Amino acid sequence: MALRIEPFGRQHRAPAAEFHNQHPSLVEYLKRYALRHAEKDLLARTYVALDESSAALRIAGYFSLATVSVERASVTQLPKLDRLPRFPLPGILLARLAVDSRVQGQGLGRYLVEEALGITLQLAGAGPVGFRLLVTDAMDGDAAGFYDRFGLVRLGDACPCRMVLDLRPLLSTGR
Amino acid sequence: MSRFQALTNNVLDQELEMLREQLGLDPGQKADLLRELAALAAWVVRQAGQGRAIEAHRGGEVETLEHPALDRLRARGGKPVGAGLALRDDEIVRLAAVLDRGFDPPPALRTALANLADPKRRPPKVRWRKSVA
Repeated sequence: MALRIEPFGRQHRAPAAEFHNQHPSLVEYLKRYALRHAEKDLLARTYVALDESSAALRIAGYFSLATVSVERASVTQLPKLDRLPRFPLPGILLARLAVDSRVQGQGLGRYLVEEALGITLQLAGAGPVGFRLLVTDAMDGDAAGFYDRFGLVRLGDACPCRMVLDLRPLLSTGR
Repeated sequence: MSRFQALTNNVLDQELEMLREQLGLDPGQKADLLRELAALAAWVVRQAGQGRAIEAHRGGEVETLEHPALDRLRARGGKPVGAGLALRDDEIVRLAAVLDRGFDPPPALRTALANLADPKRRPPKVRWRKSVA
């Protein structure tokens, strides 16, 4: 049976307890914070890839989306960059994305990025508010290489590094 | 419990006293000591909160600060969720290049966009390995 994607809710707490990943922070986020951020604090929404093929429901992967505002840390003049849009630049933050260690290497990470991109483009193209960027923070070089394939560009050289994708060209191609 | 607490407080007092001497403060300047320690700790927490590693470099040696408090910080919100991201000037320069670049998606992005437009698109079927990789 294929996976299905749905927003993380209380009914997923038991399978979340069985989630495995090589990064403890990504496991802890799903187990301890994803539900609170989604339902209580309203900081981020997490989507889970559910596998119902066995007796017990399992979470094969997840990603979390939040809003973000990109600003300049300094107010120094940057005269050569006058084509930049006015700051702050609004965007969607792909805050976390993880695949269970036991199903890695089977295309689920790619599918979750697609899904996150699809939700983001839907919001950016037809949602009630406008925003320009998809932003993520790559934890390490492997993650940066993974996101680089999808056109996200590193803004720094050291990891974890911030990466961005300009949504405007993607939206304008469909119009 | 009270004995453990007393021992802990004793050790803490000794460490604070050592830090006071190292920072060149007088015995009567405990408030100043706490103020300076709070300023130093706030910097560490702020850097870690922005996802940066805290490292001490000397020559080729690198020592990374590891502490359960930093692990909790990273787990809770190493990446500030829903907050403002303040970019340095060098990051702004790269962002400007991104925004000026126009439409030139790499193959994986073209594939992703094509997949998203496909009404038959479905999640992959996965096979669970028994052991955790």
